[in-house]
Amino acid sequence: MTTTLEKQSAELRPMRLGLWVGLGAVGLVLVALLASVTTYNGLVTLDQAVKAQWAEVENVYQRRADLVPNLVSTVKGAADFERDTLTAVTEARARVGQVSGAAPKNVTEDPAAFAQFQKAQDALSSSLSRLMVVVERYPDLHATQNFRDLQSQLEGTENRITVARMRFNESAQAFNARRSSFPTVVLAGLFGLRFSEKPYFEADRGARTAPVVDFRKP
Amino acid sequence: MATARSKTEASLAFAGLVVLMIALWTAGSALAAGAPPSPTRWVTDAAALLSHETRAALDARLEAYERTSGHQILVWISDSTDGAPVEDFAVRAFKEWKVGRKGLDDGLVLFIFARDHRSRIEVGYGLEGVVTDAQATRLLDDVLAPRLRAQDADGAVIATVDGLVELVGGEGALGPRTRVGAQTAHRTLSVPQMVLFAVLGLAFLLLLATHPRMALFLLANIASSAFGRTGGSAGAGRSGGGGRSGGGGASGSW
Repeated sequence: MTTTLEKQSAELRPMRLGLWVGLGAVGLVLVALLASVTTYNGLVTLDQAVKAQWAEVENVYQRRADLVPNLVSTVKGAADFERDTLTAVTEARARVGQVSGAAPKNVTEDPAAFAQFQKAQDALSSSLSRLMVVVERYPDLHATQNFRDLQSQLEGTENRITVARMRFNESAQAFNARRSSFPTVVLAGLFGLRFSEKPYFEADRGARTAPVVDFRKP
Repeated sequence: MATARSKTEASLAFAGLVVLMIALWTAGSALAAGAPPSPTRWVTDAAALLSHETRAALDARLEAYERTSGHQILVWISDSTDGAPVEDFAVRAFKEWKVGRKGLDDGLVLFIFARDHRSRIEVGYGLEGVVTDAQATRLLDDVLAPRLRAQDADGAVIATVDGLVELVGGEGALGPRTRVGAQTAHRTLSVPQMVLFAVLGLAFLLLLATHPRMALFLLANIASSAFGRTGGSAGAGRSGGGGRSGGGGASGSW
C-alpha cells in the first residue's frame, strides 16, 4: 500500500513541475504583453499631448497671420509710410500662408517641414517687429486708438506664440524622453515612423530683442 | 519566524523609500516651476503698496465677486520678478495657482511689480473672449499707469479692478456656466475595455490567492501613484482649480 503511494507521488512530481513551468511561462508572457500594452498606451498619450500643443501653436500663428492685413491697411493709411517695410511684412505673410498650405498633415513628424514652418514664421516675426520700430517715427499714426489696439493685439499674440512654443517643446521633450528610454525604445522602434522623435522650436534669435533700425535714412 | 519579520521590515523599508521618492519628486517639481506660493487671499500686497483699508476692502469685494459670479479675479503686488520677464512670471504663476474654476479657467490676475514698474493682466482661457488684449492694454496704460505715476496706488488698483469687473461682468449674478465635472460624467467602458478589466481582475485574484503579499503591495503601489499626486493646497480662503492660460492679456509699465 505504502509502496504504491510512494510510486504514485514519484510519478506525479515531474508532472507537477511541468505544470508550474507552464504556468510560469504563461504568466511571463502575460506580464510582457501587459507591459508592452501600457508602454504603447503611454506613448500614445504623450504623442496626443504633442499633437494638441502643436494645434495650439498653429492656432496662435494663424491668429497673428490674420492680424497682418488689418495692420498693413492701417499703417498704409499713414501718409507715405516706408514702402520697403510694408512689402517685407506682406511678403513674409504670404510665405507663411504658402508654407502652412503646403505642409503635410503631421508636421511634427517631419523635421524638414517643421524647420521650414519655423523659418517662415520667424521671418514674419522679424519683419513685424521691424515694422513696429519704424512706426515709432510716425507719431500721428502711433497715437491713434486703432493702431494702439492693433499693437496690443499683436503683442498679445506674440506672447501667446511664445507660450505655445514653450509648451510644445515641453510636451515634445516629455515624449522624446519616454521614447528614448530603455524598454520603450525597443517597442517604439517596432512601430517605425509612428513614434519618431519630435523636433523642437529653437530659441528664436533676436525675436525678444528689438531690431536695430537706422534712423538716419530718409 | 525571524525571516518573516526581516521580510516585513524589508518591505516596509521599501515602501518608505517609495514614499520618500514620491515626496522628493513632488517637491522638486514645485521648486522647478519657480512661482511664488499660491496666495490664500484675493489681494496679496507683498510690496506694501496699498493702504491697509484698501487692501482689505478690495479683498472682501473680490471674494464676494467670486461667490456671486464664479469668476476669480486676483491682485498680486510684489517688488520684483527678480529678472524674469513679467510674461513668463505671470503664465507660470497662473498655472501654479490654478486660477479660476476647473474646466472653465475663468480667472484673471492683475500683477503689479512695484520696484520693476511693470504690470500685467494675465487672462485665463475662459475669459479671453471678454477681456481682450486691447482692453487689457487700455486698462494698464490709461487707468493704472497714470494714477501710479501720480503716486495714487490705492486709486490706481481700485480703478483697474473696477474696469476688470465691469469687463468680466456678472457682479451680483450667478455664473452662467457651472458645468464643473461634466467631462468625467460620460466615461463608460467599451466591450474590449470590460474584457481587459475582467482579465486583469481575474489575474489579480489569482495573484491574491498565490502571493497575497505581492498582490497587496501591487495594489498599494497603484493606489499611491493614482491618488498620491492630487491635492493642490486649498488655503484658508481662496481655492483654485483652473489655471490654464495661453499668455492672453497685456503687459504695461509706468
